[in-house]
Amino acid sequence: MYTLKLSFIKYLIVASFFNVSFSLYEDQIGKFDWKLNFVGNVKYGSIDSSKRLIVATEENVLASLNLKNGQIHWRQILETAPNQIVLLYVDREIITVSGGKGTWYVRGWDLNVGSLLWEWSFYMENKQNFYWILSKDQLVNVAPVIGSHLEVTQYDVRSGRNNGKTVKISTPWVSDLSRCTTAGVYWACLSSDDSSGQLYYTDVLAPANQVHMFPVQSLIGSAPGRVEIKFLELSDSNLLLIRNNAARYIHLKPDLPHVYPYSLSPKAIAVANGDQTLLLQMILNTTTKKYQIQTIELQEGTENVFEMEYNNEAGVASVITAFCKGSACRVLIKSNDNSISLLQLPGGKASWTREEALSQVVSAEFLELPLSELDASIEHEFDSVSGDRFSTFYNRIFSQIRQLLVVLTGKQGNSNIGLVRDEFGLHKVIVVVTSVGKIYALDSITGSTVWSKYLPNVQPFLVLEHQKAPLFVQRSARYSPLAAQCVVLMKDKITGHGVMHAFDPITGEVVQDLRLPYRIEQAMLLPIEDENHLKGILILSDDNEVNVYPPSAKSIILKHSSSIFLYTANSNTKTLHGYNLHQSSNDKLRVTSTWDLNLGQAELLAVNVRPSSERIHSQGRVLADRSVLYKYVNPNLLAIATLMDDPIHKHVLSIYLVDGVTGLVVYSVAHKRVAKPIHLVHSENWLVYTYYNARFRRMEMAAVELYEGATQSNSTSFSSHAVSQLPHPETQAYIFPGLPLAMQSTLTERGITNKHIIVALSTGAVTEVPWAFLEPRGPQGTMNPEEGYIPYIPELPIPAEATINYNQTIPQVRGIEVAAARLESTCLVLVYGLDLFYTRVTPSKTFDLLKEDFDHWLIAFVLIGLTAASYITKRLASRKALKQAWK
Amino acid sequence: MNIKCVIVCLLIYFFSFIYASNIEYDGYVHINLRHALVSSESPVFTDRGNITIQSLRTGSSTIQQKALSQSDKIKLRDLSAANKFYQLKSIVTASDGSQVSFVSTIKACMLVESELSDILSVSLDYSGKVITVTLAVASTSTCEGATVPIDKLKEFTTSVFVRHTENGPVPDTATYIQKLEREREAKERGEVKDNRSFLAKYWMYIVPVIIIMVLSSAANPDGAGGAAR
Repeated sequence: MYTLKLSFIKYLIVASFFNVSFSLYEDQIGKFDWKLNFVGNVKYGSIDSSKRLIVATEENVLASLNLKNGQIHWRQILETAPNQIVLLYVDREIITVSGGKGTWYVRGWDLNVGSLLWEWSFYMENKQNFYWILSKDQLVNVAPVIGSHLEVTQYDVRSGRNNGKTVKISTPWVSDLSRCTTAGVYWACLSSDDSSGQLYYTDVLAPANQVHMFPVQSLIGSAPGRVEIKFLELSDSNLLLIRNNAARYIHLKPDLPHVYPYSLSPKAIAVANGDQTLLLQMILNTTTKKYQIQTIELQEGTENVFEMEYNNEAGVASVITAFCKGSACRVLIKSNDNSISLLQLPGGKASWTREEALSQVVSAEFLELPLSELDASIEHEFDSVSGDRFSTFYNRIFSQIRQLLVVLTGKQGNSNIGLVRDEFGLHKVIVVVTSVGKIYALDSITGSTVWSKYLPNVQPFLVLEHQKAPLFVQRSARYSPLAAQCVVLMKDKITGHGVMHAFDPITGEVVQDLRLPYRIEQAMLLPIEDENHLKGILILSDDNEVNVYPPSAKSIILKHSSSIFLYTANSNTKTLHGYNLHQSSNDKLRVTSTWDLNLGQAELLAVNVRPSSERIHSQGRVLADRSVLYKYVNPNLLAIATLMDDPIHKHVLSIYLVDGVTGLVVYSVAHKRVAKPIHLVHSENWLVYTYYNARFRRMEMAAVELYEGATQSNSTSFSSHAVSQLPHPETQAYIFPGLPLAMQSTLTERGITNKHIIVALSTGAVTEVPWAFLEPRGPQGTMNPEEGYIPYIPELPIPAEATINYNQTIPQVRGIEVAAARLESTCLVLVYGLDLFYTRVTPSKTFDLLKEDFDHWLIAFVLIGLTAASYITKRLASRKALKQAWK
Repeated sequence: MNIKCVIVCLLIYFFSFIYASNIEYDGYVHINLRHALVSSESPVFTDRGNITIQSLRTGSSTIQQKALSQSDKIKLRDLSAANKFYQLKSIVTASDGSQVSFVSTIKACMLVESELSDILSVSLDYSGKVITVTLAVASTSTCEGATVPIDKLKEFTTSVFVRHTENGPVPDTATYIQKLEREREAKERGEVKDNRSFLAKYWMYIVPVIIIMVLSSAANPDGAGGAAR
């Protein structure tokens, strides 16, 4: 009986936790969330008819876009990188060749719905460059061996049947593959990169394999400058010889190549227009600063120039494809910011633009919006403390008149375009930085772009194999009238030097755009504000020079120099170093080494710190015997994950928790025979990490929680220098039935709400795992329900209701960004990868919010009714009492 | 049954203890300690002493440290009074002859206040290689500069702790399955044993129903009477 009851209680506990997981009603779809779908950085494109545009991208996505508005008809996501789509051919069906790492897939796709029609794959041992040619249902694989020969293999494109042999064509003239290309069925090479060289070409499918050779001089004349060879997109047996940015169109024929007399740009393409071939190129008119499209009819040579109504600060990168019918053309162009646009000829209008850079987000930040002007004016009423009675009275009357006006007219006399703070802090601006260097601000309610800014010639930093662009919030919008300010750090594409861009995140206004004269080693936001509420940024250059932005923050650093610490992690030398600034003087800021950590041969995988804005509500946990176990909350703790090759255990994962100030290893743990992927989440006094257990072939998730013990060493302020006792770790591991791509823990305003861990899975689901499920149960292994623990289950459940993106698959997730709303229960989540998905999660349900279907009218009527009834009965009672008295 | 379980649990506990201290390669480590007593941008390290850890597995060590000279004492006192940092450089020579050096920094005033009693923490990775050497002072609070009589600064009393990397937790499937089995067994046993009468089993449900019925009939006796009339 007792056991039965106990298990029933356990069931109740488990069931109640399942209910905690956020789930959505059908009519709530799209109410709190939005999703933006992208295809990625377009590599190949083909306009199939007047309706459809087929694109293949660097992200291994094949998609069909609507030619009218650019929306996605269908989208197929192929294998992830380093696999690549290398060939796209569109006819009655779509044929793609994709792969890498030896395995290649040839697939046929339906044009209308994008379903897979047929597929075959093959394995190729040698990993050198391959060239692919599709000619009359024959897929030809050309594998050049430098200085020796070409290996040419033919396959039937639909069945994969090959005629059983690989033809070797002797080509001793192939010296450098950057000077070789395929052009239709021809393989063409230049023997040197100036005008004195020869052009060799051979038909790889011809039985005789005759090699043709012509001096470059005889084709394009002699002139100084580098000569390059390029296959002309969308044509057959044609190529461009480029010298000094001017290109010549050459048609390869079995006897003599034909050279056309037009001077083209290297980005020219050829388009079939009925029987005619049209050459098409984009030119920037230097005087009017406007783009033009020039078309040349190949045979007649008639030229047409169309003015374009197209404007892009980033500049046009290439013309991807075009489709012409008579005099009307549709031209797909790609800009340097990876956006694609469809231009119409002869009108010259851009039909649509897709901002594909948003599929390459590297960092994101939620920002609070400023107060509306009215609210701000009310706040400013109290600014003038010394104000005399009359001015205060005047201010009060004035702001009340304005309030009245707003109520009467129903609109706010507002300059900042409806971007004002709401009551619950749910409306924010999301600033995202993309790997091409374009910064976007998105409205968190609608997902629409508020502003965007392109930084030319920049790229993100590569930190531990992840692309990162540090984004710091120097000042939030809280301090009106001072505008908010953010800084993004990237590096210059050519020199590798730092690039600093300071801007107002609400309006996009540039505060300062600096190209720094040094490489950035580490950057840090100072925790101290100056008199303008601006937090300085400390940048450590690669030769250990300390730089500060804004320079006025230097005095603050000098003041706090002995309490500012920073660390660097070097993945090449496998070392971590700690520094502080106590040697700084007025003339120069200096870093002094304070600690070293040498990881030996281990590969550094991740260094993780707690979110700085995190607040911890509860100092400890109450045990069953009413005593308190205090949490070890060290704000300076770094979590480090390393993977080391081992002769016995294959790979060993080590997790270290290191104090960032003293370098003390607080806790270290090793897992043997594990493999990547490894993800870390570090929050409050705990750490959660996932790894692949190669021995049992499953993903596992482990949790570490640090406790100080029954007494708190220092309850008022934490100091890393004072080490009284090392924390006592509690650990537990679980089987995780999924493959995580990214993990993040939820963040709320005051940290009262339960913590959930948001995990993006390879299946495209983003799920929530309550921390209560992962919490280590302690050394007693307590299954004691009084402790408030859920009974330990080795395999974590992933219930379908815990999926926050319901049926909207999010592929190729790279990161999750969270922010707290002003409502304690709510945490805002942005999941970024190929797509962007925004939603809110409420780990402890919306305990501080009335239900949506709350009946305001009913409660109002009941209240009014009760008040009225009480008055009436009071009257009646008094009348009755009066009558009684007269009796 | 219970005793068996206790033994199993003990064994598990014992094994985990052995595992935790089981590093694959035992060896000795020699640490040369050098310290900087003058705060400067490029600190000059002078000899402080030597520590030999004979066995990394047991953590036993011999410590050799000289008494501080008078000039060093003054330097240390000044360092503490100015609230500067005391830097220690540990040059670690492993049993295979490889040499690595680590810097560690503490507040000079804390060292002085503790009368030169400090803790040296030598952290190892899973294979027994030293990853860092950290100096610390056991204290519950920090100081902002302190002056201490110079005669209290005589000799370093250092305790050396060798800190191993533990083995990570593994999902505990065995215990869970055992627990399920036990629960199932208990349930089966319970079903066989429970041969009490119907009333004995369900009295706690029947009694409230009766009470409610009695109460409700007692509450409106005239209603019942009215129906009868």
